Amino acid sequence: MGMDKLAAHPLYKIANPDSITILGASNKYTAMGTSILSVIRELGYEGAIYPVHPKEETVQGLPAYKAVEDLPAVPDLAIIVLPTRLVVDAMDALGRKGVRHAIVVSGGFGESGEDGILLQRRLKETAAAHSIRFIGPNCIGAVNPHHKFNATFLAYRQKPGSIGMASQSGSFITQMFDYLDLFGLGFSTGFSVGNEADTDIVECMEYLAECPNTRVIGLYIESVRRGARFIEAARQIVPKKPIVAYYAGGTEAGRKAGFSHTGSMAGPDRVYDGVFRQGGIIRAHSIEELYDFCWCLSACPEPVGNRVLIQTHSGGPGAVAADACDRAGLVLPPLSDKTRGRLAEYLPHTASMNNPVDLTFTRNPLDYLDVIPKLLLEDDQADMLMMYMLTPAAQVRRAIESMGAEPEEAERETLNFIDRQSAKIAAFMHECPKPFVGFSYSAGENRFIRRLHEAGMPVLPSPNRAARALWSLAEYRRLKKKIADQAS
Amino acid sequence: MEIVENALSAGRSTLTEYEAKRLLSGYGVPVTKERLAASPQEAAEAADAIGFPVAVKGYGAALLHKTEVGAVHLGVPDAKSVAAVYEGMAKRIGSGLEGVVISEMISGRRELVMGLHREPGFGPCVMIGVGGVLTELIDDTAFRVAPFDDSEAADMAMDLRAKAIFGAFRGEPAVDMGALSKSLSAIGKIGMNHPEISEIDVNPVIITPKGAIVAVDALVVLKGGG
Repeated sequence: MGMDKLAAHPLYKIANPDSITILGASNKYTAMGTSILSVIRELGYEGAIYPVHPKEETVQGLPAYKAVEDLPAVPDLAIIVLPTRLVVDAMDALGRKGVRHAIVVSGGFGESGEDGILLQRRLKETAAAHSIRFIGPNCIGAVNPHHKFNATFLAYRQKPGSIGMASQSGSFITQMFDYLDLFGLGFSTGFSVGNEADTDIVECMEYLAECPNTRVIGLYIESVRRGARFIEAARQIVPKKPIVAYYAGGTEAGRKAGFSHTGSMAGPDRVYDGVFRQGGIIRAHSIEELYDFCWCLSACPEPVGNRVLIQTHSGGPGAVAADACDRAGLVLPPLSDKTRGRLAEYLPHTASMNNPVDLTFTRNPLDYLDVIPKLLLEDDQADMLMMYMLTPAAQVRRAIESMGAEPEEAERETLNFIDRQSAKIAAFMHECPKPFVGFSYSAGENRFIRRLHEAGMPVLPSPNRAARALWSLAEYRRLKKKIADQAS
Repeated sequence: MEIVENALSAGRSTLTEYEAKRLLSGYGVPVTKERLAASPQEAAEAADAIGFPVAVKGYGAALLHKTEVGAVHLGVPDAKSVAAVYEGMAKRIGSGLEGVVISEMISGRRELVMGLHREPGFGPCVMIGVGGVLTELIDDTAFRVAPFDDSEAADMAMDLRAKAIFGAFRGEPAVDMGALSKSLSAIGKIGMNHPEISEIDVNPVIITPKGAIVAVDALVVLKGGG
């Protein structure tokens, strides 16, 4: 991983600026620029911030400068949130000052008619004349929580994560902060690419491929412009890091009546399906899936194959998991004789030693979370394990009370028990050479599951989502192998 | 390829079926054996060389909708019948008939479609699908962006829902995947080398009882056509 290559990338200073200027922030709280400056400060950005404002002496308590020329230093990055008509001149002034990187949040360019297209061309030419690289226009910016830098308009309050995201919709950067936090996830770096007048989604992928905090790359795509380059870049990256993409616009509306059969059967959705497979990119069919796949791909080791064991203590959820695995194209192998023999001493006679392995109850309740998943993961017929998780606090407390504990002590012991057990199982999951995930109909409101999320263990909110996420692991391995075989 | 240049300079928007198959064949796509003949005598000799029965199709740059004007005769059994078919066509069509194409008859129970179109942002894209007259109804297709190699082409074929079509089928062996993959990547090469071609349809590509693939009909649309 070359730090030099990373630092030389045009997006490096956009995601890791040591100092910034912002044009368009004021003391008026309704202004977009004001929101952006607020959230930059809220995350505790450590570099110098130079607001430019034609009238105000201070902006949000920071000394403001009347014009770009007045700045006391040349900042690494400019954030432009000005009215459309002022943007090109601002870019020119920044260039003359020596600024070489910008985020253009302002809209009214290529997305809005003939005049906008002309203006966008002028913006690009002006930037190019000063060797300025920028993202946007018409974007919501970039976020790099590892650098305590959040130049979007919604606050980032989560811990830094390992999902690198490039999105053709700003919403799937900013509006996902809280969503990801539900599962203990976060972004390593996120780019809203906007109109891609200068830097585009391909360059974002290449940057994220080098970014050491990024373990998996997520893409939200509406339309790729440099198609051949996109495929080639993906094929370079996939051997090192998985890429997951959601393509919107996957409707048949794009199909046009052609002269040939081929013309009439080709629609963009079909073509993108082929493009993703060709590039080794895993396609997600919803935004939830996009992040589920990123979650498991960043947390789990690569599976050797697609054979899954399901562990449950409840028949229904186990049966649904089996159905979901089958639909996802995963294989449910029978347990090996060796594993059956080893399991026998822990199980009651009511248990089923098929797959799903339905334990009903165990002689020692702790076995469910400890020795049994270990035994199952040692079965050489299986490549992955998915485990049904419940562990409601009330049940744990009743068990502790039944052993004679006073209510207060029982409460304390319940929490301790949950924290200890979740830490233990997450630690095991992280050291296990095979993918091991949980599934549940409970989520963060359940302390046990919340703790597992915090410890980085995927516990997906339904068996169907867990099965699809395990499929994404097997698919990544398949695509990576395909690309490696083609290269050799 | 001069086939394409000649058609363009003649102001045509498509290649004839015969030209389209010559183009495909030149890139290594297996096509039906066929010969052009400009008289009943030549037609009979060509049919003799190819082997009976044959298909006799009217040929002419201006000859569209061949079936409707009675310019397609399938399963013609011998030399005498070939000559008679030619004479009958000449009488019906007149000066629009420049000759006939004599083709071998290919039969097989499995049919594929291959094709090419240009997708904005990506350029030439190659398609494979389950083919024949029900192609659109079955709607089982996969795409790749050219250029790509044979192994990517094989991977593409495996994207089809009906990929079992490539395996052994009712006593017939599995499909020659090497030839299939080469044909798909070759269609991609045609798209790369000929920006003036906007669309290609190869339908049907018949899988013979021995597992070989043969392009039986083909359409090449030129820029400005369609």
